[in-house]
Amino acid sequence: MEQKLRQEAKALLEQGRVDYIIGYEKGSLKFTTTPLIIKDKNDVDRLVVNPFIVNNLSVFLTEIRGRIGIVAKGCDSRSIISLIQDNKVSREDVVIIGVPCSGIIDLCKVERLVGEERDELDDVTREGDKVVIVVDGRKREFPIEKVLFDNCLGCKFPTPQEYDVLLGEATSPVSEMTASRARIAELEGMSSQERWNFWKGEFNRCIRCYACRNVCPACFCERCFVEETEPQWVSPIPKWQDNLMFQMTRNIHVAGRCTDCGECERACPMNIPLRSMARKMYEIVEELFSYEAGLDEAAPPLLTAYEAVEAEDLIR
Amino acid sequence: MAGNKKINKRDIGKLLNKWSQGFTVFVPSREDKVTAFAKWDGVNTNFMEWYRNTVISPKTNFFPLMEEMFSFREEEDGYHTELPSSDKHKQLIFGIRPCDAKALSILDMAFKEGYEDPYYLSRRKDSLLVGLGCTNPYDSCFCTSLGGGPFDSTYVDIMLIDIGDELLIEEVTNAGRELVARTAGLEEVTEADKARAKEVKKSSYNKVTKKINTEGIQKKLQACFEDKDFWEKVSTKCLSCGICTFLCPTCYCFDINDDSFKKQGARFRSWDSCAFPIYTRMPMENPRSEKWRRVRQRVCHKYEFFPIDFDVIACVGCGRCIRQCPVNWDITEILNNLPTKA
Repeated sequence: MEQKLRQEAKALLEQGRVDYIIGYEKGSLKFTTTPLIIKDKNDVDRLVVNPFIVNNLSVFLTEIRGRIGIVAKGCDSRSIISLIQDNKVSREDVVIIGVPCSGIIDLCKVERLVGEERDELDDVTREGDKVVIVVDGRKREFPIEKVLFDNCLGCKFPTPQEYDVLLGEATSPVSEMTASRARIAELEGMSSQERWNFWKGEFNRCIRCYACRNVCPACFCERCFVEETEPQWVSPIPKWQDNLMFQMTRNIHVAGRCTDCGECERACPMNIPLRSMARKMYEIVEELFSYEAGLDEAAPPLLTAYEAVEAEDLIR
Repeated sequence: MAGNKKINKRDIGKLLNKWSQGFTVFVPSREDKVTAFAKWDGVNTNFMEWYRNTVISPKTNFFPLMEEMFSFREEEDGYHTELPSSDKHKQLIFGIRPCDAKALSILDMAFKEGYEDPYYLSRRKDSLLVGLGCTNPYDSCFCTSLGGGPFDSTYVDIMLIDIGDELLIEEVTNAGRELVARTAGLEEVTEADKARAKEVKKSSYNKVTKKINTEGIQKKLQACFEDKDFWEKVSTKCLSCGICTFLCPTCYCFDINDDSFKKQGARFRSWDSCAFPIYTRMPMENPRSEKWRRVRQRVCHKYEFFPIDFDVIACVGCGRCIRQCPVNWDITEILNNLPTKA
């Protein structure tokens, strides 16, 4: 897959079809990858594809000017389509290099599973539906579901939904959705008072670094409501009430755009389970409007469209 | 400076109990789902098993995420203000890493220069730092490139060296010596313990493998300050979030806001970040509206500007900005690849 990617990227740059390639390269820390943004064809050999390509690279599309070749997993491709729907990106300006995805490894889960931290592990490799972890020279095998990100489990669209090149055979979901929404189910099982207390505790930790927002491709406002001062919707003082208001409003703003890529939760340095909130909103959107983000570039963005069969009497 | 006392690890709880009489003791904790220094609960010492360093640096003990500066209320004769009741407890930070202790010495300079910051300095005064040397540094640590090391005791009052089942106690400052002298029940160290400590220190030093070359770094940064192409290229993948600056033990920017309702409220200060596009938008405009200028600022402030004023690089190599960055933006890669003039 990697060789094919490098060939494609090189050809795109050589033929002048794109100005930039956005992909992944080996990160500076063991097992990690990092976004790679290049315009020189001599750099294409730095491109990698492996089970650690965590970032949703479409976040860079609204910032980098020019024609872009972009490496996209299933969820990432949907973010790109969503950006096209919102007129933030032109389809003709992007060449989507699709990666049929079979789930990305969450190194935090690996750490919890073996009780050692990332840099103490000798090796982590995927072998089919297993993950092989080597610690202190000892080889241990686990089912791959144990270490994939929650949003990868039960992912309905692991193969890119829109692409110009596909770097392999289409893939199918790795597990049932149940595992993916285990934590959401837990929250649903709480009384509203318990749930309130839960989120109060979580947002008490929030430091307002805005990594959740900045890593999110659906958060493309030039000026975020949280930074407005006249009127001031949310206080910049990071008290839990305002932290919670910020996140809830953000979730409503990205409703119908969120593809459940899970980047908000992955980026959060305070381990706030932000995907639980985002995923719940995703499900509400699906239930109310029979809509899932980023599946049809010709469809109008969800909250700009109206149909006579809307579920709510209020707007009928 | 080799210590003369030691304590068995299973007696740490007893030790902390004794020290709790004169201090509020803070220890590494993961109770609140993210690692940070938290008030010791009087029982748990299991941090000895997992603690390498905390995600939230101990700067928060002296310069918290947010704090009330004063409260105010409007009455008929005008505004009345009141200072918050100060948290006067003397803090003992147990297990602080040498890098984070050095970071506090850097914050001391920033909060003393020109204007003496009463909030920070009152917490620092009478606090005591009990360092715990690192026997298992991260692959993202690079303290040894910045004059520090996993057992650098320069900035702590007491340094503990993990020699296996026991911790060897090195008294560094007078305050540290006094505390150790007051502490009954410590054992005497043997020559074998000292030899073991020396070994541990050496092998730990060699475990810090990430390096930067700081020789002439100020000049190099000065020379490439205007190199827009370079800074643009290295800043492209940065997301302009605040993780690196907020978790950095030496970053000290803050914002000030009022929280008020009707005729009363309070003025708060909270962490701010030069990575944010809206940084300093309140008084005028952010002079660094483009991302490459903000990325350059973070690097140059630490490695070029701060040394001009204080003669020390404002980075201690703790590696938090590298470990926690969602795009793996690695400051050491930038510093090691600064363009040299042709």
